[in-house]
Amino acid sequence: MNVETLIDTLSADVKPVRRHAVARRIALGLLMGGAATAILIAIGLGIRPDLGLAMRGYSFWVKWLYTLSLAVCALILVARLARPGRSASRWLWLLPVPVCLLAVIGVVEMAHVPQAEWLAMWLGHSWKVCSSLVLMLAAPIFVGLLWSFRRLAPTRLRAAGAAAGLAAGSCAATLYCLHCPEVSAIFVLTWYTLGIALAAGAGALLGPRVLRW
Amino acid sequence: MQASEDELRAMMIGGLNGHAPSHAALLRALVPLLRAFYRRRMQGGEDDIEDLVQETLIAVHTRRATYDRDRLFTPWLFAVARYKMIDHFRLRRRNCPIEGLEEILVAEGFEDASNARMDLDRLLADLPPKQAESIRATRIDGLSITETADRAGLGVSDVKVSVHRGLKALAARIAGERR
Repeated sequence: MNVETLIDTLSADVKPVRRHAVARRIALGLLMGGAATAILIAIGLGIRPDLGLAMRGYSFWVKWLYTLSLAVCALILVARLARPGRSASRWLWLLPVPVCLLAVIGVVEMAHVPQAEWLAMWLGHSWKVCSSLVLMLAAPIFVGLLWSFRRLAPTRLRAAGAAAGLAAGSCAATLYCLHCPEVSAIFVLTWYTLGIALAAGAGALLGPRVLRW
Repeated sequence: MQASEDELRAMMIGGLNGHAPSHAALLRALVPLLRAFYRRRMQGGEDDIEDLVQETLIAVHTRRATYDRDRLFTPWLFAVARYKMIDHFRLRRRNCPIEGLEEILVAEGFEDASNARMDLDRLLADLPPKQAESIRATRIDGLSITETADRAGLGVSDVKVSVHRGLKALAARIAGERR
């Protein structure tokens, strides 16, 4: 085909593009993936029965704010990396902020309990499954974000994959809070963060293959 | 004469607002820009450059939602163009043509070569003619996608899809025969 016919074909159908098309597209993919993950949690794991009570305690909110703030940071990175030629490095410094804040809370908590209980605090009841559950629950959200990316134009595929994995992991962890009864900050800091980091790593590995356009 | 940033941006925004003539004018204005961009950066033949220009035009069209109206247009355009070039090289490296393959095959053994050719003909004969022709032209005769499309009177994307589907079917068949 010569260029002229190509241009004629392409400009035969020019739909208007809304101003926040990129944000909309990412939000839609995120919502679809998030809905799938929420259903998986509700059916497969069950919502913790004392959720209403837990929501009145501070440890639930510490957990939630931690995972939510990571999710927000990750989504900022995703939105930047979804556009050609934009770098995300200016926003990377945001990521360690929630991690450091949670570490401070963890240290304060540990100072208030006897040393003999530290190990039990750190391992909780579910340290063996927590990270892998977060990683698995991240998969539907990652797929949702991949759908979003099909209309977007990432030019750094590995970084975009990592950011999508990070966003999927932290959103999955946010939803996993509805099930997980663990309370201590160092538990969350270790096992949640590990699960989220694994999701980001998986995203970085898959990125160049699945985000090509 | 080449269009300026302001003109290009105005046309792009017109297209984003759904104004088809601006969009067509933009794509037309991009052709010389992109040709110059790729010519400066790669030693490939004119066909490669033409393929890339068309790929980039398609990308500008399908990914135009990622352009932010409040920012400059040319950095966005060249980021897309650069990405397409890197992608092109990546693909090339994967199926790099071997210089003088025929001579090597003759030297290594005529029988192997002719067996390979027969195998190839047999495999291609099982495919629908369009796919077989597209694969033969692009992968064996070494024509570019554009040339193949022109020769067969097909669309560029049609040829690409045919090659892709054909190769996939062949791979599946070969995997089946080995098993």
